[in-house]
Amino acid sequence: MSPTIGVLAFQGGVIEHMNSLKKAAASLSKDVTVIEVRSSAELESCDAGLIIPGGESTHLSRAARECGLLEPLREYVKVKRRPVWGTCAGLIMLSEEASAVKQDGQELIGGLDVRVHRNHFGRQNESFVTDLDLDFLRNSSSSSNSSNGGGAAASANESPSSLPFPAMFIRAPVVDKLLTAQAHDAEATPQQDPAQQQLLIKQKKTPPVEVLAVLPGRHASNKAAAAGELGPVSPEGAGDIIALRQGNVFGTSFHPELTDDIRLHVWWLEQIFS
Amino acid sequence: MTNNTATGSNGVASDRNDSSFKLKSGLAQMLKGGVIMDVTDAKQVARIAEEAGAVAVMALERVPADIRAEGGVARMSDPGMIKEIQAAVTIPVMAKARIGHFVECQILEALDIDFIDESEVLTPADDAFHVEKSGFKSPFVCGCRNLPEALRRITEGAAMIRTKGEAGTGDVVEAVKHMRQVNHDIARAKAALQEGGDLAIRALAREFECDATLLKETAELGRLPVVNFAAGGVATPADAALMMQLGCDGVFVGSGIFKSGDAAKRAQAIVKATTHFRDAKVLAECSTGLGEAMVGISVSSMRADQKMAGRGW
Repeated sequence: MSPTIGVLAFQGGVIEHMNSLKKAAASLSKDVTVIEVRSSAELESCDAGLIIPGGESTHLSRAARECGLLEPLREYVKVKRRPVWGTCAGLIMLSEEASAVKQDGQELIGGLDVRVHRNHFGRQNESFVTDLDLDFLRNSSSSSNSSNGGGAAASANESPSSLPFPAMFIRAPVVDKLLTAQAHDAEATPQQDPAQQQLLIKQKKTPPVEVLAVLPGRHASNKAAAAGELGPVSPEGAGDIIALRQGNVFGTSFHPELTDDIRLHVWWLEQIFS
Repeated sequence: MTNNTATGSNGVASDRNDSSFKLKSGLAQMLKGGVIMDVTDAKQVARIAEEAGAVAVMALERVPADIRAEGGVARMSDPGMIKEIQAAVTIPVMAKARIGHFVECQILEALDIDFIDESEVLTPADDAFHVEKSGFKSPFVCGCRNLPEALRRITEGAAMIRTKGEAGTGDVVEAVKHMRQVNHDIARAKAALQEGGDLAIRALAREFECDATLLKETAELGRLPVVNFAAGGVATPADAALMMQLGCDGVFVGSGIFKSGDAAKRAQAIVKATTHFRDAKVLAECSTGLGEAMVGISVSSMRADQKMAGRGW
């Protein structure tokens, strides 16, 4: 049987992720089964990975608890350490802490040692699309041009690495705090002493948090995007964390599944099957 | 709205591909599989809805059943009340404007509302025109009884559609009728495209009085090009699952919850039924012991002028 990837199907952008996954698998010529997950039996059959889609995290949390899926999900993420990717509400569910939650609080799955800030930019009027340079996509075959298999039809929606990624932020969260001392910037990794880093990982028994992308000059870019103005914006501070990875857990604030751009899905599948 | 009216149907198609529309329809996509609840006060009702797992709330002063009972002109809610609800919950907050009342829409947009419902539940302000919705930053949801009506609203800029049903009755029959009609119309469009191509689509668009490009897109997709929720008469978990099995993407519930015996329990049950709409065992479990359902009004006993669904075109 082909490797199975699930999409948590309580609510939200389920079919969109399933479609993007299927397209990405086809472009890699990989045989992957994609299923909806609503029960622990379905979760168990996901040997290759799981996506937690965008939606309302308050509802996802409640639905998971009601079906007794919260503990199996925690085990899947933290004990079995299978590949998991959360987008938007999914990122909230995969964080250890969340702020700006509803009055009675909210249960999370966890897995990322970070604090996430819900509805960071505000209400729907503050939602925006912005072009991001995602450096981590550079080495992915998703970024090579159509000469690398896939055929003309499959590569029609693919974009070379030089093109920025159209990132949609819809009432989006950002990571506003790292809860682990091992946090480091992915780009800075080569400069660190690998032996010492390995030691630290062993001591903590958890992999480090890798910051994969920040939103540069978020205030300026947010306003520019809101006004429909493109062009360079001056960075302000380090920027908000909007894509990150910690071992098997990957999270993004934005919604690649709402675009025709499958580069992030291709990249994620490559991480799984490499 | 920068769109030149001379661009006609092509202008519509390109509008729907721009990033501003995608952000609006994208929020609707994130609500799929969820329940949106009418709430009339912040402290209790809105919090009950959020705790029950609602994906959004609709802020209004009176639920449709009360609007129906009390009569008079129904208008946009007091902004103060909308702000209180926005402060009480973390989920998206929607609010209703009267059909054609673009100034109520401007006010709701200024309040940073997450979604505007141009709704037949309120008394229409314009008997000829709906609001031109494309120019607003806030996304819109509109009611429909059939596919042509849905496509006319999408042409005007609606990012989400719902059945009209018959609000405030607790009788699901009209919502079922409208959803079946949408499905039937889509099947006709698909058949027309298959048998007669563009020519047949244009002929059907003429009969439907809707945009041909949008009709073709619908025929190719085999569904509405935006998210489509059920509304107007959903009162039980089984009603919600029925609408989901008929192909709706989610459910609006108003009077059905807060005119029943145990609102919190019923709200939770309808959310659960919408999530697990194909699992009859779960439906049996969440239909059990909910207390008194909304008494309701049978739509078949109503006169035409008592129905809200006939408002708008």
